[in-house]
Amino acid sequence: MMTAVRSASTAVWRAGLTRNTWTLGVWLLLSALLIWYATLIPVFGQFQITSISKNSLPLVYLAIGQAIIVIAGGIDLSLGALLLLTNALAARLMDDQPFAMVLFIAIFLIAGLGILNALVGYIISVSGVPDIVVTLATGYIWSGFALWILPSPGGGTAPEFRWLFTGAQSGIGGTYIMPILMMAAPAILVFLLSRHTRIGLSIYAIGSDSIAARLAGLDVRRAKVSSYAIGGAMAALAGLATVALTGTGDPRFSVGANATLNSVAAVVLGGVALVGGTGLVLGAVAAGVILIMLNPILSAVGIDPNNAQIIQGLLIAGVMMVGGLVTLLRERSA
Amino acid sequence: MKYQSQRFTILALLLTVALALTACVAVAPASGDDAMMEEEGGFVVGVSNTLVGNGWREQMICAIKAEATASGLVESVVVVNRNGGPTEQIADLEGLISQGVDAIILNPTDREGLNAVIESAIAQGIVVVAVDQAVTAEGAYVATNDQTAYARLGAEWLFEQLGGSGKVVEMRGIDGVPADTDRHNGFNEALANYPDIEVVASTFTGWDPSTGAQQALDLITTQEIDGIWTSGIDYSVVEQFQVADVDFVPIVGADNNGFVEQLIQLADAGLMGAAVTNPPAIGAVGMAIALDALTGNNPPHETILTPQVFTTADLDALNAIYAPDEQVGWSTYVDIEPYTSYNGSADVSACTAPGE
Repeated sequence: MMTAVRSASTAVWRAGLTRNTWTLGVWLLLSALLIWYATLIPVFGQFQITSISKNSLPLVYLAIGQAIIVIAGGIDLSLGALLLLTNALAARLMDDQPFAMVLFIAIFLIAGLGILNALVGYIISVSGVPDIVVTLATGYIWSGFALWILPSPGGGTAPEFRWLFTGAQSGIGGTYIMPILMMAAPAILVFLLSRHTRIGLSIYAIGSDSIAARLAGLDVRRAKVSSYAIGGAMAALAGLATVALTGTGDPRFSVGANATLNSVAAVVLGGVALVGGTGLVLGAVAAGVILIMLNPILSAVGIDPNNAQIIQGLLIAGVMMVGGLVTLLRERSA
Repeated sequence: MKYQSQRFTILALLLTVALALTACVAVAPASGDDAMMEEEGGFVVGVSNTLVGNGWREQMICAIKAEATASGLVESVVVVNRNGGPTEQIADLEGLISQGVDAIILNPTDREGLNAVIESAIAQGIVVVAVDQAVTAEGAYVATNDQTAYARLGAEWLFEQLGGSGKVVEMRGIDGVPADTDRHNGFNEALANYPDIEVVASTFTGWDPSTGAQQALDLITTQEIDGIWTSGIDYSVVEQFQVADVDFVPIVGADNNGFVEQLIQLADAGLMGAAVTNPPAIGAVGMAIALDALTGNNPPHETILTPQVFTTADLDALNAIYAPDEQVGWSTYVDIEPYTSYNGSADVSACTAPGE
């Protein structure tokens, strides 16, 4: 059993090594974009770094969650809806509450949505219905619940909670230490979990080849459910970040739908192949920030950010093709 | 080997970003030009809109651009235009602040959620004007159309036409949207003064012409109606009278080009109606206010436009605002005294900002 895990993990690791180059490349691209953006605008300092890092938080969290689920061989189209649901619940429950209570609600929501999505993962695993179908359905249910809980924009949260994510109690113009810390901590935690624990390695293993993983004696269902639990918890974190950013709740369906699509985009751009089993969570993190940065950059060079969607689409199509080409060449040479 | 390689990856990542950030701060020129303006012209104006693909909003942006060009004081207009909520709009506003614009005109997604970023912009010397919908941020300029008066003025005209008694239909917009709530209140204000007017039906059109048309067709073919008040879904309702071959009843709509055209052309066929203005040119008003503030003219912080009523009793006035070259959904009332300085629908429709 132990040797089976060991050899499976080395195979996974070898496959993942080429992807590491990709992860580094995405981070280099992010650095290049940052430098380019700095030359485009008159002043680049604390305000801009804080702005980019805090505005990236919801997408980065969602991308981390989506990355883990995709690595495990699934895909979750309900993550945006879970963000919406958390946003509605948090804005409603946290309104006029003291900070301690708000923190308690936040932890409760992260745990609660983790369990909720674990249940969805369990249903997928037991029923054998494709991930995409089940999560599309649950996505509509969560969006509906969100609207039911918060029928129109409103609610609120504690100023200290906004500081936690944005570095300022008003949500604007704070220090960049808090948002960067809040981005790095969950990212590194999930990254280490995925690479250095038994459950993390089995997530890679089932995504790479679920039958082989089962034959090797891995608990496939447990790994699958775990990936969905992490996805749900990260979506909850993303929902909390949106409440912290705006100080209100916004239950509109389109917000969740956009967030889901962007999370898949970030995962693909981040070098996590949609077939599963490869890629690093850290790549999706950088890709999430890049997608958020596209808007201010495009507007600074005078392109209507509405066209950002076209550029984003072209970027993803290009990434997919390059990825496919790399795999093809490697197979030929092997 | 494995652990080392991973540590190396993480370290390399952190190093890359740290280097990039340092480079950014080094590359960016120091902020030295804090000389307070009151200069004449050369302004850069940012526009933030979060509803794309909506005719009214597109016309609002075009009116802003047209006014910028006509004023001669604006160097460029930076439009940040995408679908989104407060989260996206906060990011967009921060982007505009970073670009160093002199003024920002926004159609806000939230009454309070944007206050912090707006106040931060104002603190950095940027003039902020919220148009169409209000914000409560301190120091922000607000320019809105009076939605309560929009409904009250139209309804009063309708009730007068009916001699103070009759059966009317209220065709509203979208339930729960602030503008719809305000208009419903305005409608009821007028109704309170006419006890013999009976509202026989009230519908939500969703501000969708085809939905409104279907509802109107059902209503006029099944019951006796003396008048119709609409929340701007007007020309498709008038068409249903022609489709069903039913005699026209007095109808209230907005300053939609298609409706204005009908009022002019079908007046001989007995159509009586009133076009109440809800101009997207409020954007141009916002631009005028921003420029006033930038040039040190201290405009008032709150501007509420009272709607104009154009009726079939004065066809010349209707002809004056009618724009034959534009689409049916075009809002024809574009010249707003004393704010706008462009010349009519053609200028707005050209949709060109300075330097474009």
